[in-house]
Amino acid sequence: MTFGRKVLLADRRRFAACLALLALILLCPTRSHAYAGPGAGFAVLSSFWALFVAFLYSVYAFLVWPFRQLFRLLRHRNVYAKAEIKRAVILGFDGMDPELTERFIAEGRLPNLAKLRGQGTFRKLATTYPAISPVAWSTFMTGVNPGKHNIYDFLARDLSNYLPYLSSAEIKGPNRSWKIGKYSIPLGGPKIKGMRRGIPFWHWLGEAGIFCSVLRVPVTFPPEKFSGVLLSGMCVPDLKGSQGTFCFCTTRPSNDKFREGGVRVPIERIGSSFASHIPGPENPLGGGSGDELRVRFEIRLDPAKNEARFAVDSASFTLKVGEYSEWIPLKFKAGVGFNAHGIARFYLKEIYPEVEVYVTPVNIDPGRPDLPISHPVTYSIYLEKMFGPYATLGLAEDTWALNEKVLDDEAFLAQCYANHEDRERMLFDALEKTQQGLCACVFDTTDRVQHMFWRYLDEDHPAAREVPRAERPTVIQDLYARMDELIGRVMKQIDDQTLLMIVSDHGFKSFARCVNLNAWLHHAGYLVLKPGKTESGDWFDDVDWSRTRAYTMGLNGLYLNLKGREHEGVVEPGVEAESLKNELRRKLDGLVDPASRRVGITGVFDCDAVYAGPYVDNAPDLIVGYGEGYRASWDSVMGKVTSQIFEDNLKAWSGDHCVDPRLVPGVLFCNQKISDEKPAIVDVAPTVLKLFGLALPGYLDGKAWTVGISTSRSVELSPAS
Amino acid sequence: MGSLGINIPSGIVVGISLVIGLAMVLVFGYTSDQKAIHIAKDRLKAHLLALRLFQDQIRVVLRSYLRIVLATGHYLRLAFKPLLFVIVPITFLIVQVDRYLGSVPLSAGQTFLIQARIDDPELLNQASLQLPTGLASTAPAVHEPAENRIAWRLIAERAGEYAVNVQVADQLFAKSVVVGSGVQRLSPVRLRGKFWERFFVSAEPALPANKSVEAIDVQYPAREIAFAGVEWNWIWLFFVLSMAAGFLFKSILGIEI
Repeated sequence: MTFGRKVLLADRRRFAACLALLALILLCPTRSHAYAGPGAGFAVLSSFWALFVAFLYSVYAFLVWPFRQLFRLLRHRNVYAKAEIKRAVILGFDGMDPELTERFIAEGRLPNLAKLRGQGTFRKLATTYPAISPVAWSTFMTGVNPGKHNIYDFLARDLSNYLPYLSSAEIKGPNRSWKIGKYSIPLGGPKIKGMRRGIPFWHWLGEAGIFCSVLRVPVTFPPEKFSGVLLSGMCVPDLKGSQGTFCFCTTRPSNDKFREGGVRVPIERIGSSFASHIPGPENPLGGGSGDELRVRFEIRLDPAKNEARFAVDSASFTLKVGEYSEWIPLKFKAGVGFNAHGIARFYLKEIYPEVEVYVTPVNIDPGRPDLPISHPVTYSIYLEKMFGPYATLGLAEDTWALNEKVLDDEAFLAQCYANHEDRERMLFDALEKTQQGLCACVFDTTDRVQHMFWRYLDEDHPAAREVPRAERPTVIQDLYARMDELIGRVMKQIDDQTLLMIVSDHGFKSFARCVNLNAWLHHAGYLVLKPGKTESGDWFDDVDWSRTRAYTMGLNGLYLNLKGREHEGVVEPGVEAESLKNELRRKLDGLVDPASRRVGITGVFDCDAVYAGPYVDNAPDLIVGYGEGYRASWDSVMGKVTSQIFEDNLKAWSGDHCVDPRLVPGVLFCNQKISDEKPAIVDVAPTVLKLFGLALPGYLDGKAWTVGISTSRSVELSPAS
Repeated sequence: MGSLGINIPSGIVVGISLVIGLAMVLVFGYTSDQKAIHIAKDRLKAHLLALRLFQDQIRVVLRSYLRIVLATGHYLRLAFKPLLFVIVPITFLIVQVDRYLGSVPLSAGQTFLIQARIDDPELLNQASLQLPTGLASTAPAVHEPAENRIAWRLIAERAGEYAVNVQVADQLFAKSVVVGSGVQRLSPVRLRGKFWERFFVSAEPALPANKSVEAIDVQYPAREIAFAGVEWNWIWLFFVLSMAAGFLFKSILGIEI
């Protein structure tokens, strides 16, 4: 008998003995021991309550189910009558690159994708202009070009002051508040406004009575109502309202500030222990004073065991050096009835000679969401109850912390894959729950890991020159193999009535050299600094707008300082603007990096030519397509003019896709034959609508592919071993 | 125990409920697998939410019902271990408290029955009652041969703790009778053998093992405790108050129940 079976048997015997004892007591004839304290009371009440609620609901559900079905039948007729498929499963792998995929298939690393390619379809999937995730995924879900969905970058610019704001959503405090002395009590919750326009295709499916489960598709915050369930993805903020602000607590004195994405917080020694705090959101009772709420925590070191004991609110836990905690609930208390609920993970970086702790950005608690992160609101709660707390932040993988060397490669990867595993669990639950309809899920891991580890793939990347080639880890190879294994497990779950589509929004290239386009504009006389200045601060500090004709911010957009549009615009719309655009295109297209003699910009695209729709006025004037190996510099993205135009990229963020969109198409795998030779991401929405037998809305820009549906493929679709 | 006054019972129940509520929550917290209970409860809630979220998908709904039943069973199993730690002391405590709060003593002037159950119905004719001063008989003994039982109707003339002797042939069997008010320790029955029954309902030593009398009982009135404008049996009041205390302390102490 195995040890496990012995333990099981002993466990059963103990359980039987306990049961007998309890039965003896319970069967003795007296009223007084029918109740054995609140523990038993709670246990009985809780389970009784659950069963009672379930029973009531079951009665209700069974009574109304025929009526609901009748209503659905009358409203939607037989929705699947015209459908060519029963279910569509779309797996999005952000940034999965077709060239790498082909290479790894050839190396035998991706057996399941190889099988899909052999039996169904593999194509390069044309991306959007620019090839940026929020833009491309918005096009994916709406089936329209950015001129119709209004997302052109992560950032958009405020025309009144040239400052950036998040392009996808706007979060404001409540409209009214009640002032009592120095306190201001908000009346109502925060106002969240989605900036993405266009209608996701799952809205039309829901309207037709086709159930949809949508997980972590970018730019779905704030979640919109539709007939199905949705968990928001990229662009969900953290509890501070930012796109992710980590906290680095340290006893090491330093006045350095992180460029973005993190704050440094001192750890104080108090007797034999240490204490620090996690900065949270602004105090809602502070009346806009900017006071932030904080959660304090204590650390007790155990150097002998190389570990530390943490006490945070009511939670306490022990971490070894180099270990992450689970998600810890954090309550930021502003006053009675005014709490913000978040979750964060702690990572013990060092305990000797200094004490250093990394804390992830404080995610919105999915079990008690202070902002809606799902539709319906209970869906995020359902997932939290089902699988435990999970990352809700849009950009949950903390690339900034690795860039700033707060995390090392190993710790970053551990964080990425922990989040990925949570999403896998959610996906398989959604697959089980969505036997008919649409199940769409986007995984970010592919994007984040490629951004941060391309340096090991690129033979001569400046950020990895000190690492000998033989010692470079195969992080990206392993990443693709892991995704392939996931695809294999999904293939096991689907039948021959299910369409399986693997898509990515763009591919990837090396990011070895930075281009400061603002510096080039400055050198070429299009952007002018105030007298005596040779460089600007962030966000165009010290720029003389009265003499500036063009500027850039964000990743690919180039803007004219247009009179009547920009607050201090100087370029006349019409002929002058067109002439300036042509001039800039001519000069920038083919711009050569003098150090490498390679072309840094391979294309500059006029937005009037590539976009069409009601929101074109919000678009940049030109889209800059960087050459392979190049991207906008970190400073240029933040509206800073430096003296250097080209420089090496020494950061861990070493791969990118914000280049010429023609260089970075995404992938399209399908378990069915698709005859179109040049599919684009804009075509996915109309294709899915068509396959479900729905009429295509006239405003769509994409065209439905011709998909050869075969219904006898169940054997062929078994995953590769 | 002497008389404690008429408002004392509710105070005792409140006090016991608070203390037991706290103690039980602590015991539950220390003896249970808190993490597993947390997960089990969360799963249960998730399956309940699934009923609502996926209500048009009958397969999902049916599967959720099944999972609710399974999750409830799992949760009860997890709650069972700490229950084992508390059930014996709590049962002992409740039995003891029940002797003080379960019934009220007989009041002066009140008539009541005292009954004896005898093994051999032939001996019923040889049974008699020896009454102390303060108790008096109001009617001849009633024989119930079919039940092997004999009953006497008595009247309590004044307050006091008395020992009534039942004589059967040449054997004497004592039974306590309490007349008075307030909270006093009462034993409604004296039994022969039957350890578990005696443990739960009797506050007197066992009757001699090899003698003819099986049980002697006195019918005390049940106690009703006035609390919050409602008349309560003490065990129900204890149930409600200890649950409330438990809810309070579990929240304060952060213990998952």
